[in-house]
Amino acid sequence: MKIQNDAGKRQPLKRIASPPAKVTIRKLPTGVRGLDDILGGGIPEFSFNIIAGTPGCGKTTMAHQIVFANATAKKPALFFTVLGEPALKMLRYQQQYSFFDESKLGNAIRFINLADVVMEKDLNAVFDEITKQVAAINPSIVVVDSFRTVVRKTTAGVSEMEMQSFIQRLAQFLTSWEATTFLVGEYDPAEIRDNPVFTIADGLFWLSQKAERNSIVRKLQIVKVRGQNSVPGLHTIRISEGGLQAFSRTLAFVPQNKKPARRQRLSMGIPELDKMMGGGVLEGDSLLVAGPSGTGKTALATQFIAAGLRNGEPGIIAIFEERPKGYTDRADSFGLNLKTPQEKGKLEILYLRPLDLSVDETMQEILDAVERIGAKRLVIDSLVSLEMALAPGFREDFRESLYRMIVALTAAGVTILSTVEVEDTFTGFSFSHYTISFLTDDIIRLRYVEIDGQLRKVMVVIKMRGGNHSKDIREYVITSKGVVVIHPRSTDYDGLTTGIPRQTGPRKAQKVESGPEPKARK
Amino acid sequence: MRDFAERLIAYETKGNKSSGTKTAAVFLVGEKLRLHLTALMGNVGFRALFSRALALANAEVPWLHTVHVKADGSLGGLDELGAQVASEKIAEGSVVLFAQLLGLLVAFIGGSLTLRLVREMWPKIPLNDLDFGNGDKNENPK
Repeated sequence: MKIQNDAGKRQPLKRIASPPAKVTIRKLPTGVRGLDDILGGGIPEFSFNIIAGTPGCGKTTMAHQIVFANATAKKPALFFTVLGEPALKMLRYQQQYSFFDESKLGNAIRFINLADVVMEKDLNAVFDEITKQVAAINPSIVVVDSFRTVVRKTTAGVSEMEMQSFIQRLAQFLTSWEATTFLVGEYDPAEIRDNPVFTIADGLFWLSQKAERNSIVRKLQIVKVRGQNSVPGLHTIRISEGGLQAFSRTLAFVPQNKKPARRQRLSMGIPELDKMMGGGVLEGDSLLVAGPSGTGKTALATQFIAAGLRNGEPGIIAIFEERPKGYTDRADSFGLNLKTPQEKGKLEILYLRPLDLSVDETMQEILDAVERIGAKRLVIDSLVSLEMALAPGFREDFRESLYRMIVALTAAGVTILSTVEVEDTFTGFSFSHYTISFLTDDIIRLRYVEIDGQLRKVMVVIKMRGGNHSKDIREYVITSKGVVVIHPRSTDYDGLTTGIPRQTGPRKAQKVESGPEPKARK
Repeated sequence: MRDFAERLIAYETKGNKSSGTKTAAVFLVGEKLRLHLTALMGNVGFRALFSRALALANAEVPWLHTVHVKADGSLGGLDELGAQVASEKIAEGSVVLFAQLLGLLVAFIGGSLTLRLVREMWPKIPLNDLDFGNGDKNENPK
């Protein structure tokens, strides 16, 4: 090939050596929070998809969210309703969701009822009607709800081959017309193997729900999505006023910051404890504070958060039993003001009490809050009550999800303090019945001991992954200043970790205490 | 809802003087609604809704017993109506019937969405000042 230059002389055109670019598949947003991440970025444009599942899983709602997220007057969506939910009822209920944008109806989103064609005619007529409407409106999104009823009604006496041919023609036509298609239907998992629609589909979104004791758990599985990497496995979904929300198994947390290469030590807000920890907790560590009821785990956690706030580090406290007001009031009694940082957006106290929470959405709430305020410190108070707040069906996933969240957050440099209740036995010295110590960098154990006719409290730093720490067992009290470590290591007793130590040193005269140990005044 | 229906009917009957064409024009509102709503909800859906509206209107307008909803959702028995009922009565009855139909739509999908659907058919009729009040389908403004 030759071109002419300005002088009119023919010169050979230089060939460009770069190879032809491969196609870039645009990804459409789903409008379902969390789903784009699960899908690997969104829905491939011009794909032919199935949204399948049993009744009540949220299939139609998901289809609506996709439609409302993408439809515009220039690129409208065509929503064919068939014999499933009547259109009037569908509009009645769907408009309750916050994503429902009434202004899109009529111009950007058009509903066409196919019921009469399906009832009275055959597959060819259904195909003709769909193609007629698509050709007239030129939609970018096409939904058929419920496709199952189209097939069920029109396949009486139709061979499997004809059925496959119909679906193939439909898929080819809609893709050729540059429409991204969603066939919504009530299917049984056993049908995946034999039903031709699943073979032809580019994407298969499977919704399900199962009962666990008294709770219902909804799940989503991306069985397939051609051309991109989706997150495998079952993901929790919840239907609320915003429509469907999906919670990725991997939590899809993209941290704003990375854990710094040189981590500083953060104060726990208790000077003597900082010394025991070799200068404080390492930034980005996960610290477990274990102890029985009443040993001051919450007080210690509050001091940890308050120390961060004093140092300009925003914090999150996730609580599951006590209400936020009770929490801030008690902090007040220790002289720690949590209300002002709350008002300034430096502290959020998340009260996550409702039963039936899924572990993933609980984790998501925490992650959202961390992102929202740029938290550097997080308290989970406590793991026991967090587990209790979960629907029974999610409890078996608890450890796995907790692990994912801790890994995600600590990788972002957030320092986590989790409290856990352990029952003191007088024969052992357990840290947690969850066997979660593998995911904590540091462990502080609080416990009661019987000394000189008193039930006193001692603490010990069991483990610090990031460095050396004191091996001392130190007595502490809870005063109006919170947890205060008193007395240096006592060498007069053996067996403190059993709770019933044996006195090895000389017996000293005991002071008479007029009242109980000073404690925070309400 | 009567006000709503009256505006639609007034718009459709504008310029029709003779009683025969006026009867047809009065019910043209129903026909337009049928064609538009059938696309949304199918024949069966529209027929069910219109039949309910007719049943409710029957309680107020006895002569509407002579009218019925056909299988395709259109009204039957209109041809005989002109000879039996005065045109003013027909106009009045049609207001009641369509007020019921619009009221049902409002009850199911809300005033805002109903207005949107109606505006797609009658974009020139001013409807912004309509007051759906407490949702009573057939409230009498007087």
